[in-house]
Amino acid sequence: MLLQLNNIFKWVNSGGQRIFLLKDINLNVNEGEFISIMGPSGSGKSTLLNVIGMLDGFDEGEYHFLEESVHSLKEKHRANLYKEYIGFVFQSYHLLDELTVKENLEMPLLYKKFKGSERKAMVADMLDRFNIVGKKDLFPAQLSGGQQQLVGIARALISNPKLILADEPTGNLNSAQGEEIMELFKKLNEEDGVTIIQVTHSEKNAAYGSRIINLLDGRKV
Amino acid sequence: MLKNYLKVAWRTLTKNKTFSLLNIFGLSIAFGAAILLSMTAFFELSYDSFHKHVDTVYQIYYTEQTPKGAVASTSHPEPLAMAIKEEVPGIQNIARHLEDDALILREDIELNLDGVWVDKSFFSIFSFPVLKGDKTPIQEKSSVAITQDAAKRVFGEEEALGKTLNILVNGQEKSFKVSSILENIPENSSVEFDIAIGFQNHGSYNEIKGEWDNRNHNVYVQLDKNVLPESFENNTVAFSKQHFAEEIENAIRDGAVKDKNGNYKQLKLLPFKNTSFASFGKGVAKVDKTLTYLIFGVALLILIIACVNFTNMSIAGSTRRLKEFGMRKTLGAPKKQLFLQLWTESLIVFIVSVGLGLLLSILFLDSFKTIFNTNISFEDFSSPQIIMGFMVMLLVITFISGGYPALLMTRIGTIQALKGKLNMEKKPHLRNALITIQFGISILLISGTLVLWKQLDYMRSKNLGYNKEHVISFPLNGKKNSYEAVQLLRNELQGNPNILNVSASDNNLGRGKDGSAYRSVLGFDYKGRGIKTNMLVVDYDYIETLDLKLLKGRGFDRKFAADSLSLVINETMVKSLNEENPLSINIMMEDSVNYKVIGVLKDYHFEKLNKSIAPITLFMNKEWDMYYAYVKVAPKNISASFDLVKNAYARVEPNAPFLGSFLNENVDRTFRRERALTTMITSGSCIAIVLSCIGLFAMSLLVVTQRTKEIGIRKVIGANILSITYLLAKDFLKLVVIGFLIASPLAWWLSKSWLEDYAYRTSISIWMLLVPGVIAFFIALLTISAKTLNAALQNPTKSLRTD
Repeated sequence: MLLQLNNIFKWVNSGGQRIFLLKDINLNVNEGEFISIMGPSGSGKSTLLNVIGMLDGFDEGEYHFLEESVHSLKEKHRANLYKEYIGFVFQSYHLLDELTVKENLEMPLLYKKFKGSERKAMVADMLDRFNIVGKKDLFPAQLSGGQQQLVGIARALISNPKLILADEPTGNLNSAQGEEIMELFKKLNEEDGVTIIQVTHSEKNAAYGSRIINLLDGRKV
Repeated sequence: MLKNYLKVAWRTLTKNKTFSLLNIFGLSIAFGAAILLSMTAFFELSYDSFHKHVDTVYQIYYTEQTPKGAVASTSHPEPLAMAIKEEVPGIQNIARHLEDDALILREDIELNLDGVWVDKSFFSIFSFPVLKGDKTPIQEKSSVAITQDAAKRVFGEEEALGKTLNILVNGQEKSFKVSSILENIPENSSVEFDIAIGFQNHGSYNEIKGEWDNRNHNVYVQLDKNVLPESFENNTVAFSKQHFAEEIENAIRDGAVKDKNGNYKQLKLLPFKNTSFASFGKGVAKVDKTLTYLIFGVALLILIIACVNFTNMSIAGSTRRLKEFGMRKTLGAPKKQLFLQLWTESLIVFIVSVGLGLLLSILFLDSFKTIFNTNISFEDFSSPQIIMGFMVMLLVITFISGGYPALLMTRIGTIQALKGKLNMEKKPHLRNALITIQFGISILLISGTLVLWKQLDYMRSKNLGYNKEHVISFPLNGKKNSYEAVQLLRNELQGNPNILNVSASDNNLGRGKDGSAYRSVLGFDYKGRGIKTNMLVVDYDYIETLDLKLLKGRGFDRKFAADSLSLVINETMVKSLNEENPLSINIMMEDSVNYKVIGVLKDYHFEKLNKSIAPITLFMNKEWDMYYAYVKVAPKNISASFDLVKNAYARVEPNAPFLGSFLNENVDRTFRRERALTTMITSGSCIAIVLSCIGLFAMSLLVVTQRTKEIGIRKVIGANILSITYLLAKDFLKLVVIGFLIASPLAWWLSKSWLEDYAYRTSISIWMLLVPGVIAFFIALLTISAKTLNAALQNPTKSLRTD
């Protein structure tokens, strides 16, 4: 078991009323799964993903990640946990505009305090694996959307995470680029055994996954 | 890691060129100004601190009760110093100190040196380092100590030590031996001189010796270590009563009120380290360092304004980088590192700004020195401690102004940051207060500038009661007797149509190129009352030369042989004598000489305009020396006439330098302090308004980014450009108006109390308070419009899409 959510509630108070963003979510994820989260706008997909990624907190319930009780951890420990095991991929890529492709890939390693020579080797390896060696000195603005997302995924993978969380990774891409990215996810899942949870609107993309979770108004259906 | 920070910092800075340049520009100016100002302040505070015994050295002065109130006097009679040392315990050393030029004659050299005539203990009290020769200077009566520079002027490249030189004393050359060469007097010394000569050698010595009622020099005292100045002062009461008995009797007779301890004449001590800050207003020395601290204050204020701008701008700029920081957080960046990264970026901006500021201050050092009349130099500030202090201060400033935005950024939640939105729940009270203060300060400074200008202009254009445009004055600084010199000058200039009159007196009007200024006051009894008057010794034609107006009687005239016993007085003197018919006045002076008043002058401003016109009496007595010549020239060909006078004087006194200037230049020179203040306030207000506008610009930028969506919606609904601009500008202009409402009364009050120092002053008109407000308002409006108009003009689909 990679992670387990038990009776997760999340709400905000607005105008004296409690509005639930997540309502009684229970979820078990095993290593090697490829899960798609679906649902209409505002159903809580992204919120759930952020809770799993520990970027966002929750108000009630329990969250266990690799035998650690996330709900009782201090923020610093939580940060160490997701830094170690989770990679994020975003709809709008969120590459650092001021850094080149190579430097963007290097960034997570810096925060993990790898040595310079190690960093170099890992970055070179990743550039090789994604076939973007020729683009290593370009800035994000000089790349197409698909290429940027490729770099985004490479960055998420560089520190060998157990789990990849992808929030509409193909949302800003055209269909050909999107398909390429989804194939890449599939390959990562099948060949390298990386666990993937993605949020998507598209049935087609959701079909790449081994399991689909549907959300409506913060509730699993 | 650090390399990465620097790289990102550099790329961010170059990407936001406007922001970076504005920041660096503002900070550089602020640092440059702050460096120069604080150097000035430090320099002022360091005055006289180089003397080893400075903490136990005092200047003696007397507080005297007169019918008109308490008066302070730093001038003392000859026997006082020695008598007090014998009669009052607690004195380690005491020295008399008389400042008077010494005319040096050696071979063909004839040179006026800044002289001090002092007791030999002077050099035990003060630590003026001896370079060569006798380490305790002027032990013998006929030896002198001379500074390195002055030695070079007198002896050239020759070795001066052991040589002799002649000094003109009472018209006779006396020979002295140079026994010590002193290092040049430090710039921050309030006692300055080129040559030190034994006190007994001064020309006046025989006249003042043993006399308790003739005062002409300062006295400095070094107390024993454990003696408190207050108890020393108290111990002198009996001493003063005994030696000044007659003076005290006269004071009682004239109706003086005794002080709170029941004394009419009280000796007081002024700590020597405070002499450069002291003024003797109402009988007691008032040590006032406000101006120095004001300079510090202005420096600090400018720095604060600039740093506030930096902070505000960093916050404004960081909204664009929220995504970057959100991303860094999801990649596992701890808060500490994010903080460090942002702080590094601030540090880079600050280091660049400090570098540029330092450069600016070096570039402007010379003009700064002339404008503000200080002698600062960077060498005085190159000690390791000062540099360390400077660095520490810099770190603290960057830590606060760069650290605050960094802290704000790291506090924002990851998700929120990734969305790129900064929500401002609270109203930015701190920011608004800061902007209000910034503009308040600017308005205050602009008002100050206007008031100062008007007063300066008023004083320069005021009719002083004499002809200042066409009269040249210059010191009679040669070795000839002054009456002889003036007569020779008359002969030289005779028959020239452009030279109208030549005369002389013992005092200058305004401040001449020789820079000296003094007043002589004479006291006598008239009909049982003590009367004090300024005293001026003049030559024939003085009244005509200066175009003074005679109200009654006549001036001094060659036709009347007895005019050496005649007096010409001014209106105020008439009032002070309280006589109906001034021309009938006869005055008995001390040695039973009867003087007769022959003329009354209309009051004229013989002193600076901050003093009301005092009584003055003109004497014409060839026994008394004169020190300044006056030449009236015709209104045309003024500069040619000036050269004429210069050449004529060169023929009369071939070895003396000609230090002539027109009286209006002399009058201008007396306004140096006002001019320095005006320049300081003017430049301060310029810097303040520029920095405030930079800040305002940054703020409008921030607000516009925050309200992009609102602007878009309003436009879609149908708002026009003008209404949107108004909407955005309104909030800021309100702050400027509040700043104006606070600053104006303050400006009015400050100007009023400043002007009260001037007996003759301009009035404060309402426009001087309104104009600065209007100026600030429009500059602010312009600054804000730049950004708000841009926002209002933007296509709403664009601004709406960004969300």
